[in-house]
Amino acid sequence: MLEKPKRGVSSVKSSHFRRRERIEKGVLRIVRITGTLGFLVLVLFPFYWMMVSSFKPLEEIMFHPANLGLDLHRIDFSAYREVLFEHGFAEYILNSAYVSLATVVLCLGLAIAGAYAATRLQFRGRSFMSYGILVIYMFPAIVLVVPLYVIFAKFGLRDSLHVLVLVYLAQTLPVALYMLRSYFRNLPLELEYAGLTDGCTRWGVIWRIVLPLSAPALATVALYAFMMAWNEFLFAFMFLDTPEKFTLSRGVVQLSESVHLSKQLVMAASVLVTLPILLLFLLFERHLVRGLTAGAVKG
Amino acid sequence: MASLTLQGIGKRFGRVEALRRVDLEVSEGEFCVLLGPSGCGKSTLLAVIAGLVAPDQGSILFDGQAVDHLTPAERDVAMVFQSYALYPHMTVAENMGFGLRMRKVPKPEIRASVESAARLLGIEKLLDRKPRDLSGGQRQRVAMGRAIVRRPNLFLLDEPLSNLDARLRASVRLELKRLHQQVRGTVIYVTHDQVEAMTLGDRVVVMGEGCIHQVDTPERIYDRPQSTFVARFIGSPEMNLYQGRILHTNGGVCFRGQGFELDLGPAVIPEGDAELGVRPEDVQVAAEHASLSARVDLVNPAGSERIVHAFLGDERIAFSIPKDRRLEPGDQVQIAISPKKIHLFREGQRQEAPPA
Repeated sequence: MLEKPKRGVSSVKSSHFRRRERIEKGVLRIVRITGTLGFLVLVLFPFYWMMVSSFKPLEEIMFHPANLGLDLHRIDFSAYREVLFEHGFAEYILNSAYVSLATVVLCLGLAIAGAYAATRLQFRGRSFMSYGILVIYMFPAIVLVVPLYVIFAKFGLRDSLHVLVLVYLAQTLPVALYMLRSYFRNLPLELEYAGLTDGCTRWGVIWRIVLPLSAPALATVALYAFMMAWNEFLFAFMFLDTPEKFTLSRGVVQLSESVHLSKQLVMAASVLVTLPILLLFLLFERHLVRGLTAGAVKG
Repeated sequence: MASLTLQGIGKRFGRVEALRRVDLEVSEGEFCVLLGPSGCGKSTLLAVIAGLVAPDQGSILFDGQAVDHLTPAERDVAMVFQSYALYPHMTVAENMGFGLRMRKVPKPEIRASVESAARLLGIEKLLDRKPRDLSGGQRQRVAMGRAIVRRPNLFLLDEPLSNLDARLRASVRLELKRLHQQVRGTVIYVTHDQVEAMTLGDRVVVMGEGCIHQVDTPERIYDRPQSTFVARFIGSPEMNLYQGRILHTNGGVCFRGQGFELDLGPAVIPEGDAELGVRPEDVQVAAEHASLSARVDLVNPAGSERIVHAFLGDERIAFSIPKDRRLEPGDQVQIAISPKKIHLFREGQRQEAPPA
């Protein structure tokens, strides 16, 4: 007698809850979609405009500045040709590539050795070094710019791409060490023991076991270092004087400051700066996400 | 295959003394089990033997030759880890052949060794798989295979069965014993499971708090524990142990505990403080010459028998009864303890009581 109405109440209740859940889910979905769309517009619109403007001749930009569209039959690559071969951007690309790749290679090499030592090896001053890594990371670049400028100027080391690599290394290494260290720490120690008893040396363990398992973290660090070096402007601006040694970001500013203001040239140059990073990101995106979360969840 | 000698091995981790003056001899081809509660230093000892952890004092010898200065690679030992520690980025075959590859063995030879080891373990079909596609039991086999392939001086096994479920553990245990008879290597096997230790070991080394308490055959460890630590640690349910005094009476010797007295007959034991132990299965229930009375507190079924927990004077006693025998909580039961079945300890060490 008592059970029947009870059951009825509970089914009414559950259908009520189900309806509410459906409404909540619907609202959440709308919020999510509009949020994503708004954000996409915010990010993609400048990029779109930059692309479109770079394909237009100067008159087109001048006469129809509000025209957002692009006539596909009238795509004009002359801005790129001009930027690359008349304003020295072919050289700047090579300079940027050299600086970025050198930073990545050195940064990875040093960070792997350093992070491994800080996680697995016992040595004097180990905890000091661990704190040191973080402390250096805390200094904003702008604080370091003046003293570094003074030091390098004193030693006559300004205006050199190699020195720029050194500076970028100092900028990226703390983060790289920090990221790799927390990743290495989560690799099971027993795996390395197994490698050692199987006949590897320490370097063998790092090369054959630790590094293959750290591929996502290494990709993340490499991409981070590359992006930092590729996009960096402040130090490049301070340290480089000779136009032949300019990096891309430095070159873009040089171009936009120059007297004959050609919008489409600046836009084309900006595309040249942005595109490689974008491609790299799309290429490594999957590894990257894994690298960022892999430390948190033991896989 | 080699014999192993440890001389006065000591190791500290900060304030914790993980190993204190450990001496041990393991002969060639022996299956030696290190048994002890967790944190007693047995895994540390294994890592020291492998050369993964450097001891603070002492010396390690293989076949009488000191190996203290050798790296793990040069010692040529194989280790099986509790977590198996298979290389996740290699296939089973690559995992098993890795040690040989590092030793620059020619490829065809590696293949042959891996295949014969895989056949021995029944994992030929898994050779191309990655560890993540294997079940727990299969991973365990691969880990064993990786060790066997190498034909090392020593096999070091660190709780290799503790990640398996109970049924699988029993069958792998049997297999391990058979495997040892086929491969005939010197094995140091670490476990905290006394059943594993008793069934597998030619000899069992009982460790506690960084020391070796007893090295003996499984039978003697059980029958003649040399200290109260071993007596407590070995056997399930635990041995009953009582603090008390040995007293000389006009009839002979007796043990006086808290609230009970046990006649030990005409034995030659000096008077004084002592600990008396008796295993649950050695307590006779309702025997004719029963001299002690116990009050039943709990009765636990344990398959073929029942374990009774009861009060004996102010102490507690556990003993086993056949499962068809009825006892209820609150019952009074007469029990007897034969002087031949008791274990006597003085200051924690075994005291032999020769019959007069």
